[in-house]
Amino acid sequence: MTSLTTDPLLWILLVVLIAAVVAVMRARRTNMALRRTRKDLETGLGEARGDVGQLHTHIAALTAQHQRDLADVRADAEAATKAVLKSAMGTLQSLAEEQQVLLDDLLKKYGDTTDVLGDLMTVDHTGSQFGRRAKGISVLCGGWLGRRDGAATVYDVARSAQGRIRDFNRVSVHSQVNVSLVGKAVEPVAVVLAELLDNATNYSAPGTPVEVNIQTVPTGLCFIVDDAGLGMDQETKDRAASLLSVDGPVDITGLGDPPRFGFAVCGMLAARYGFAVSVGSVSPYGGVRAVIRVPESLLAADAPSPAVDAHDTAGAEAAPQRLAPVPVVGPSHVVGTTSGGLPKRRRRNGSVTVVPALDAAGQEGTPQPVSEVTASRLGAFARGTQLGRTTNTTEGSDDK
Amino acid sequence: MTTPGEEASVTSDFVRSYVITGGRTLPDADDLALHTLVTLAPERIRPLGAGPEVMAIWNLCAGGYLSVAEVAGHVGLPVGVARLLLTDLFEQGHLLRRAEPPRAQNVDRATLEKVLNGLQSLIG
Repeated sequence: MTSLTTDPLLWILLVVLIAAVVAVMRARRTNMALRRTRKDLETGLGEARGDVGQLHTHIAALTAQHQRDLADVRADAEAATKAVLKSAMGTLQSLAEEQQVLLDDLLKKYGDTTDVLGDLMTVDHTGSQFGRRAKGISVLCGGWLGRRDGAATVYDVARSAQGRIRDFNRVSVHSQVNVSLVGKAVEPVAVVLAELLDNATNYSAPGTPVEVNIQTVPTGLCFIVDDAGLGMDQETKDRAASLLSVDGPVDITGLGDPPRFGFAVCGMLAARYGFAVSVGSVSPYGGVRAVIRVPESLLAADAPSPAVDAHDTAGAEAAPQRLAPVPVVGPSHVVGTTSGGLPKRRRRNGSVTVVPALDAAGQEGTPQPVSEVTASRLGAFARGTQLGRTTNTTEGSDDK
Repeated sequence: MTTPGEEASVTSDFVRSYVITGGRTLPDADDLALHTLVTLAPERIRPLGAGPEVMAIWNLCAGGYLSVAEVAGHVGLPVGVARLLLTDLFEQGHLLRRAEPPRAQNVDRATLEKVLNGLQSLIG
C-alpha cells in the first residue's frame, strides 16, 4: 500500500486527473458561455434582418412615391408646354391661313403676269408646307385644325394633301371613285395623307414616284399610298404601330430630336375623327404601303354624280344661254315695295359663278333661278372684260 | 381643350394652283393672249383622266367662243394657270383658236398716191 502511495506515478496520475477535470469544467463553462453568446447573437441577427426588411419596404414605398410625383410633375410640365405650344401654334396657323387667302387673291390679281405668278406659286408652296407643320404640332397639343364648310371630293382631298409636301410633283393621284368626304373630315384626312406622303417622299430615292390610289371598300373608302423606298425596319414599324394606335395624349417630348411628328399626328387625328391609318405592309414597288381607311360615316351622303355627267348638263345649258344675256331680275328678289311704289329688291350676298363650281357639283338637284344665273353670267362677263381691259397694257407684243 | 364648335373656319383654296399645274413652267402670256377666243374643236372626245379643272374648261368651251380671260374667270383660276390648261388642250388638238384679225398694214405712200391718181383719172 505504502508502495502505492509512494508511487510517484500515482501522484502524477492524480494531478493529471485533477487538471483534466478542471480543464473539462472550464471548457464546459466556456462552451456554455459561447452558446449563450451565440444565442444572443442569433436573436440580434434576426432582429437586424427584420429591420432590413422593413427598410426595404420603406425604400420601395418611397421610390414608388417618388416615381408617382415625378410622373405627375412631368405630366404637369407636358400639359403646360402643350398649352403654350397650342396657343402659339394657333397663332401661326391663323397667320398661315391668312397668308394663303392673301395669296389666293394675289394669284388672281397677277394671273396674267407669268413671271410673278410663277414666283407667287413658289411662295404659296412654302406657305402650304409651313401651314401643315403648324397644324400637326397644334393637333398634338390638343388644338384643332381649321374646319372646311363644304364637302370635297376625295380626288381634291388627295391633291390638297399633295400640295402640302415638298416634293409634290413626285406624287401622282389615281382616283377610280367619285366620292366626297363630309366637311369635318376634309382637313383631318388631308393632313394625315400629307404626313404619309411626306414620309413616302422623304424615305424613298429622289427620282422615284409615289402613288396615291383611292378605292372604295365595303366599309368605306381607302387612300393607298405606295412608295418605292427601302421599306421600314421592324423597330420603325413597331414605333409607327404604337403611335398610330394611341388613344390618349401623346408625349411630345418623347418624339425625338428633331421631333418626328408624322405618325403621332396621324394616330391622334385618326382616333379623334374615327378613321384608321396603317403602315407596314409592303408596296408593289418594294417600299412602304400606307393606308387610310375612311368609314362610310365620314363620306358625304349626297355624293356628287360623276363629274362627267355633271359637266355634260352644265355644258349643254351653257351654250344657249350664252346667246341670251337679258338682264331679267326675277320676282324672287322683290321683297316689298317702297313708299314711292318702286319694288324693293333683296341684296344678294357674294358673287355667283356661272360654272357650278367643282365642289358644288352635288347641288345639281337645286337649280338656281334663271334670273340669278343670267345675272351671274352678266357679272362674270363684266368682270372678264374688266380684267381684260385693266391688264391689257401688259401685252406689249400685240399692240406693236 | 377647345370644343369643335370653336374651330375656326378655313376658307383658302383647297387645291393649290401649283398642284393643278403640276409644278410645270407657265406658258408665255403671248401664246394665248387674254382676248384670244377659244372654243372646242368639233367632235372631240374628252381626254381620259382629265382633272376637274380641265373638264370645267372643256364644258365652258363646248358652247362657243370664249376669251381666255373669261375662261379663267369662270373656272376661278389665275389666268396663267387657265392658260396652261388651255395650251395643253390646244396642243392635243381639242381646242380651236379664232384666227386673229389681220393687222392693218402700213401701205407705203407711193402706192396710195398711185391709187389716188388712178381713181382721179377714172372719175375725174
